[in-house]
Amino acid sequence: MTRTPTQTVEAFLAALARRDVDAAMALVDPQVTVQVHPFGLDGNGADVLRTVLADLVRAFPDLIISVSQVITTGDVVTALFKADGTQAAGYAGAINQEKHLDIDQAWRFGTAGGLITEVAAYWCQAQLYRRLAVKRYDEIAIA
Amino acid sequence: MTELSQRPRTAESAAAVVTEFFDRYRAHDVDGMTDLCSITARLSYVPVEIWGKQRVLRGDGTVGTVGKPLWTGLIAAFPDLSNTVHSVTSNDEGDVVVQADIEGTQQLAWGLITPAGRHYREPHLFIFHVNPDLLIDSIIGYWNDAGISQQLGHNEVD
Repeated sequence: MTRTPTQTVEAFLAALARRDVDAAMALVDPQVTVQVHPFGLDGNGADVLRTVLADLVRAFPDLIISVSQVITTGDVVTALFKADGTQAAGYAGAINQEKHLDIDQAWRFGTAGGLITEVAAYWCQAQLYRRLAVKRYDEIAIA
Repeated sequence: MTELSQRPRTAESAAAVVTEFFDRYRAHDVDGMTDLCSITARLSYVPVEIWGKQRVLRGDGTVGTVGKPLWTGLIAAFPDLSNTVHSVTSNDEGDVVVQADIEGTQQLAWGLITPAGRHYREPHLFIFHVNPDLLIDSIIGYWNDAGISQQLGHNEVD
């Protein structure tokens, strides 16, 4: 039986919460469109999303995903969650200073046939850099 | 407003209320935007946080106490403020999710950003809830404030 849109996204988020990138990507269409607005990323294909997830899990190996709301509007599912973790590697240009991150995010998923076909991720990169002790946007790697 | 509120709440009517909200926002009709909201409507603009020495002020409150002053100030600072709605999805429970770009050209100070006449355009995601009386009772907004700051020439992470 095909998963519902809600089930598909909840399974994706559960896999991400386990830091299991392979399990999360098993729920993604190979031709998925990916927009990660804080990165200015607008791409296509599962490899693009895999890189986004893998970078996150690698940089924050104690990552905790706390989902507050899952809103289903037809084939679109929007998840509101907080990502918590302690930096252990460079991320988004910021060097590792072992800072703690807690960022509220909203990810909008399009689904079809039990797979995720679209992802648009929203969070505030100013909040992220503030928590990672970055001082300037034009000197992100300088602590 | 009356015409909208006489309809039963469905996915379509809830979406129509929110579409009207963005039309009024584009027209800089802040009172009209507020008229589409219940008197106790909650507002959470997640990226808004101002770090002081002893506390952090956040963009959480009601439409009347946080939303209206914020929209009014934004329109004053960016007199050509506008929005482009890219998608609206909704359900019969009154949830409405909107992808929209907000853009404007800075003419007055906005937060710590001094005006340099620069233009910004930034993707936003809004999650609305519309009550059975077809009034908005919750607005949650997400966007990347760093993107706006950089487009306006402000490179400090405040």
